[in-house]
Amino acid sequence: MTLADARAALPTKSIRQQFGETILDLAGERDDFVVLTADLMYATGIDRFGAAYPGRMFNLGIAEQNMTGVAAGLALSGKLPLISGYAVFTALRAVEQAKLDVAYNGVKVILAGQSAGLSYGVGGPTHQSCEDVAIMRSIPGMIVLVPSDAVEVDACLRAAMRHPAAAPIYIRLGRGAEWTFNAPGRPFEIGRSVRLREGDDLTLVANGSMVVEAVLASDALRSMGVAARVLNLHTVKPLDVAALEVAARQTRAMIVVEEHSVIGGLGAAVLEALAEVPHGPVRRIGIADSFPPIGPPHDLRASLGLSAENIVAQALDLLRRT
Amino acid sequence: MRSEHLSNRPAQLAELRIRATRIRDFALKMAAVQGQGYVGQALGVADVLAVAYFAALVYRPADPSWDGRDRFLLSIGHYAIALYAALIEAGVLPQSEIETYGADDSRLPMSGMAHYTPGMEITGGSLGHGLPIAIGMCLGLKRKASNSFVYVLLSDGELNEGATWEAAMSASHWKLGNLIAIVDVNNQQADGPSSTTLGFEPLSDKWRAFGWWVARVDGNDMDAVLSAFDAARALPDAMPRIILCDTLMGKGVPFLEARDKTHFIRIEPEEWAKAIADLHAGAAE
Repeated sequence: MTLADARAALPTKSIRQQFGETILDLAGERDDFVVLTADLMYATGIDRFGAAYPGRMFNLGIAEQNMTGVAAGLALSGKLPLISGYAVFTALRAVEQAKLDVAYNGVKVILAGQSAGLSYGVGGPTHQSCEDVAIMRSIPGMIVLVPSDAVEVDACLRAAMRHPAAAPIYIRLGRGAEWTFNAPGRPFEIGRSVRLREGDDLTLVANGSMVVEAVLASDALRSMGVAARVLNLHTVKPLDVAALEVAARQTRAMIVVEEHSVIGGLGAAVLEALAEVPHGPVRRIGIADSFPPIGPPHDLRASLGLSAENIVAQALDLLRRT
Repeated sequence: MRSEHLSNRPAQLAELRIRATRIRDFALKMAAVQGQGYVGQALGVADVLAVAYFAALVYRPADPSWDGRDRFLLSIGHYAIALYAALIEAGVLPQSEIETYGADDSRLPMSGMAHYTPGMEITGGSLGHGLPIAIGMCLGLKRKASNSFVYVLLSDGELNEGATWEAAMSASHWKLGNLIAIVDVNNQQADGPSSTTLGFEPLSDKWRAFGWWVARVDGNDMDAVLSAFDAARALPDAMPRIILCDTLMGKGVPFLEARDKTHFIRIEPEEWAKAIADLHAGAAE
């Protein structure tokens, strides 16, 4: 079976649809849970929440800076606010409000950034978001989560809502249909990676949309006699340094894959952690330091090497040189 | 802690003038500790803070985070020296901490930060943040059926920031009758007069066009400031209120009033003593 066949055999689900379903479900759990958006109620799939709980839905219009400050004010008056926006506006347009009004004021606000990476590829660089992880993880106290499919989006939102710390949480989300591969019901623990495949030849580290590609690559490599461990690092911050150190000790090389700029994202976070311990060669697969072209997300990913096919090729090349 | 003289306005105004002089005195003493500070603003806004803390706000000095309090948000964090002086006069902070102003381990840092100081609701200072946070608090308090007001102090220079105008639209959209914004209009910002840096007039018309109830007063006329605060609180309409206060930087200390550049004042030790003496001489007249 080719990689394309293996991918096509997987079910898919829209991230936006899952997000909307989970938000609606969580609303019943806590009365203090409120949702804010900047004219993206339909676009981020929270219209059903808005219809069911009109008093807990705040549409602030196309004004993300004000919205983020308002969220902080709501948190300071006892609410648990979730901002439902696009990653590019949540993490870039209103970054100072996220830093000062939310993080420095020490309040819990969940910042959910959809259409991250290339998932709204047809929107071009104005709507693609390849810098958000780098920016958000540099804010003191900010927890950064990057779930990998609809199943993990659901688990991640529940974990974020129940997380006891008075810390802001940035959740990086896709947009449309993505492959679904995670087993339902698996616990999602913030800060704890998930080992999806065993192997001691090399380690594939990934998050978000690239986890399924890493899993497919591992399965393909296994048929070639290469045992590739797969770590799903859904939490970029706080990073699961312990799992990385074990992988660095037990495997010969590492490849980090992410749908994000190679500057400042997961690959950078992993290298920062590994700089403190002995490790083999590490190769990063991500978006080069340039604006990606415009196009459908799956085509863009493939053309930029964000694919199981490229992971396999890079893994074989890396092991040949190691 | 509203004045006890509600039925006797001349006595209330006399008490508020004494409060304002004490606020100016505390601010000058704090600035003298460091030899510098945003004291021109503190002297200018002291009358407004006297009315806010002694004729408007509901609070408990011994319990600054009491849930039933009115909130006072200092969006302009560099005015911290003015708010500390008011909080000392209000009994929220002890007078003995004046000499710690600006020291490394002080509860009174040179820019206002919520983590450090009782009674400091938010960390302002990066301009344009206070009004959005105030709106969130107003929405949260309304959802709790609280009767508390949220006051937020802005400055004319701060109105350069776009986020303030996003918030201005938002406040009237959400019909926030529990929001009272105050703007210290002293026509000074870091690079000179606000009117030559980024003109802001006609200010009343702008806020009215954004759907706000507007009062514009001489912010150093105690009678006028008190009337504006009373009217803002009493207004029955479900709309946000704003009090635009034209103030004089350095008010109460003639040689500081006369300075050209008053945004950040740095003077010699003996001049601080003279400033305090001049303040009290003027207040006694």
